[in-house]
Amino acid sequence: MTKAFVLRDLVDDRPKDGVFRVNRAIFRDPDLFELEMKHIFEGGWVFVGLATQAENPHDYFTSFVGRVPIVVSRDGEGVLNCFVNACPHKGVRLVHKVCGNARRHVCPYHSWTFDSGGINRNIKWKKSGCYAPAFDEESHDLAPVARFGEYRGFLFASLNPDVPSLDDFLGETRKLLDLVVDKSPEGVVELVPGRVTFTYAANWKMQLENCSDQYHFTSTHPSYIRILDQRAREKAEEVVQATLGAADFWQEDAAGITGGTMSFEHGHVLNWGVMPVSSAQPDFERADQLAQAHGVAKRNWMFNMRNLTIFPNLQVAENASSQMRVIRPLAANLTEMQTWCIAPRGESPEARALRIRQYEDFFNPTGMATPDDTVCYEEAQLGMAEQERPWLQGHARGLTASVPGGNDYSDMIDLKPARSVLADAQLCDESLFGSYYRAWAARMAEVLA
Amino acid sequence: MSALGKAEAEAILFREALLLDSGDYDAWLALYTPDCLFWMPAWRDDGTQTEDPDRELSLIYYRGRRNLEDRIARIRSGMSVASVVMPRVAHMIGNVLVGSADNGEVPVDSSFVVNVHDVRTNRSHAYFGRYEHGFRLENGEWKISRKIIRLMNDVVPTMLDVYGI
Repeated sequence: MTKAFVLRDLVDDRPKDGVFRVNRAIFRDPDLFELEMKHIFEGGWVFVGLATQAENPHDYFTSFVGRVPIVVSRDGEGVLNCFVNACPHKGVRLVHKVCGNARRHVCPYHSWTFDSGGINRNIKWKKSGCYAPAFDEESHDLAPVARFGEYRGFLFASLNPDVPSLDDFLGETRKLLDLVVDKSPEGVVELVPGRVTFTYAANWKMQLENCSDQYHFTSTHPSYIRILDQRAREKAEEVVQATLGAADFWQEDAAGITGGTMSFEHGHVLNWGVMPVSSAQPDFERADQLAQAHGVAKRNWMFNMRNLTIFPNLQVAENASSQMRVIRPLAANLTEMQTWCIAPRGESPEARALRIRQYEDFFNPTGMATPDDTVCYEEAQLGMAEQERPWLQGHARGLTASVPGGNDYSDMIDLKPARSVLADAQLCDESLFGSYYRAWAARMAEVLA
Repeated sequence: MSALGKAEAEAILFREALLLDSGDYDAWLALYTPDCLFWMPAWRDDGTQTEDPDRELSLIYYRGRRNLEDRIARIRSGMSVASVVMPRVAHMIGNVLVGSADNGEVPVDSSFVVNVHDVRTNRSHAYFGRYEHGFRLENGEWKISRKIIRLMNDVVPTMLDVYGI
């Protein structure tokens, strides 16, 4: 470390003074980035994938926890495990494919062999190897991650053993994951085949914020909104019907409560908007069954616009379609986004096709909205170089509307956020980002002065 | 129906490339049939692409030129920050293979490299892959009824629009 950072110089959190500010340095500084990787991405729970990505015995998929390569593998008994994807012998990455099925994984370098449960099954020419007895005292199996857990198909891992239980970590947001999973008649959320990966030249926290940023929508996406308007007027058959075109929570003249935000323990947040139970949504085909199975209130919440962030790297966006995003920071000014269309298993082929078309229309680095977001992230990154006035002004909006606990809307589904904001269309709370930075500060407190 | 020779097929491909490179989007749209397919599949895993657009995700999937017209309207709107400073592009097309007509559509496969210079960030990136065009004769003129773009390097730096593929 060349510099000593002082936490209060980075996150200025003074509720009594009505101040919450974030220093630009945490978006640009390479030394802080190293600390974030070690203490946030490699120091606590992060999302690694869905159980359906390795559904059958010996199925596996690879990913990263922070900078560490991992493999999630289902063994012959059907048990999912998560290992560091590196051979204990020389550290070579063992599994190279993004996904597949294999009973045995053989290291390409010296042929050490492991089964799908991570157990070492062969060390080549071991008997002739003249190993000292001490060698046998070490485990030669793949190293499991310190903690690994599943909540309804969502898989999380931690390289640090000293973390709360996964249930405690997710807390109330489990009810929000339930809304995603329970849309499926089989209670299973799955990935639509087709992985889309892109990078942007800006800090990972730009994506973290943007997902829960209602304030940007009409400013960043007017070109998309104009197309929605035009399509609504012309009703052309060959264009997809948009979910957002059937809702008005984002329009400046919408009346009354249109949505709001919620903050949860450990840095998780939700922003949401009222959306009607309409045929613009693929789940409409099961609207009645969902109400019968889960009650009208929970069904209506399933149709609401919901952007959920599980800090620090999972975002489930149910707005223009249903998207799962995984944030992978590569450098202070470079981020990789892995994105998938997620869908309730068991929906009709027609509903699935509509979901996919809506997804491609809005999302993707090749879609009509996401590029306008990522370009803004990159332009923000340039502005992070400013040092004379280090404090950003993007975390103050909504501060006086934020109350402890929930409200009538969260009560409907027995959801108990730590804080919440009920909003009209123009409030567009930014105080929920405080939850990210309080979690950030909590993780970084031990290493910063 | 008329046969489509290799030289003629190349002339259409090269014209499409020129129109995209020079930003003449109205003429570009006019190359397509109203019911055209414009499809860039995603990758399912390391080695296979998505094949069924109704069950699997694509990077872009449009049936109908109207969708391409929407894309162009967005680019020209002045309201898309990703399209205000337009990237400069240059298409290179080769390895052209003309297949035999099926149901009035002549398949034409080719390889492409599109060099994209993002003026805003001063970064350049080369996208490459294969095109699978289909050409149909409409009122005596060959039109593009199908363009499938098989993008090999699909980890996209920031953004990629229809003019860059």
